[in-house]
Amino acid sequence: MIAPGGAVLAALLLATDPAHAHDVVAGVGGFYGGLLHPLLVPAHVLALTSLGLLIGQQTPRQRAGLLGLFAASLIAGIMVIVAAFAVTSAGYAILTVTAAAGIAVAVARPVPMLVSGPLAMMAGAAIALDSVPQEISMLTTFVALIGTAIGAFLVTMLLADLTVYLKRDWQRIGLRVVGSWIAASAILVLALRLARG
Amino acid sequence: MMSMILPRIVSVCFIAELFLAGAPAFAHTDGMAGGFLSGFAHPVAGPDHIAAMVAVGLWGAFLGAPAIFMLPIVFPLVMALGGVMGILGVPIPAVETGIATSAVVLGLMVALAARPSLWIAALLVGAFAIFHGHAHGAELPAGADAVAYSLGFVVATGLLHLSAIAFGLLRRWPAGQIAVRATGGAIALAGIAFLVGQQ
Repeated sequence: MIAPGGAVLAALLLATDPAHAHDVVAGVGGFYGGLLHPLLVPAHVLALTSLGLLIGQQTPRQRAGLLGLFAASLIAGIMVIVAAFAVTSAGYAILTVTAAAGIAVAVARPVPMLVSGPLAMMAGAAIALDSVPQEISMLTTFVALIGTAIGAFLVTMLLADLTVYLKRDWQRIGLRVVGSWIAASAILVLALRLARG
Repeated sequence: MMSMILPRIVSVCFIAELFLAGAPAFAHTDGMAGGFLSGFAHPVAGPDHIAAMVAVGLWGAFLGAPAIFMLPIVFPLVMALGGVMGILGVPIPAVETGIATSAVVLGLMVALAARPSLWIAALLVGAFAIFHGHAHGAELPAGADAVAYSLGFVVATGLLHLSAIAFGLLRRWPAGQIAVRATGGAIALAGIAFLVGQQ
């Protein structure tokens, strides 16, 4: 029997096309360009924020597991790019994860690993696959992608840690409000992209 | 504790809303900042939308917990569903009438200090959120950064709610209660004007 997370990742990896490079950060390339990439692409920022808040709302054991799954799927995504493939529909996957994680943050109930695990894996793989750098050599591409993976992981981990410390009622409500706003944005953009093709 | 901090937060939101709404028009400009500002300006550019959003926030303040907290969480999500229908071209009859009616009904709820059960209030507000979302979704510009635009649009709507909640908290004092209910009455009258204006 295939685990749901594995099935999600497999589906993402199977839906591959030849890689399409895009600008990372004008004037900043290599490792630092990759490091900044997750912070400068709005869809990635929303995805990492919602995922970070979601992970932060879970139990300590789940948090560690989810961060581990996220890191592993980032690395898996990088490996796929290094093999000269990219998922053209990674943007849809990112928005779907963002919407789902945002709703989960807004609901603020414990989410079973069966649901949150695949979400974390889908987020990691999709963000890596949607971060193809505009580099010429394989080495610089790899270095930039490593930067992207580290940047994405650090943002998610920091947000998850921050969420843990927000324990007052109004802070928890604030997190839920942010989650609902992110989910609403992602749902609108997803519909827009589906409508415009 | 909550009662001390919440007004401060929503006050900051209100000031942010005022400043951002007063920024120069950057509609349909390229880039993330232009997309965000364009989206942010959209809900605050329509008086019928503003009236309804303010009424939702005021009513939430009147209903108290948990409605006051659930409102800014639930409304954007339901509105997004309406937005999806608008973007996908799913027809909803009399959208503009629905928006104007939302101002009338929600304004009256505030003016009369109505306190129905939470699920009835949520159902009512959610139904109107569909109309507002549909109108916004159908009017999404083609050139704007979609993510930044939608984020600006949702944040502006949320800040309108929070600003109204801040004002609605004045209901704790007798004079404040009169001011809030009078605002609700004014919104209902404005809604009637919107309805008449459509004829």
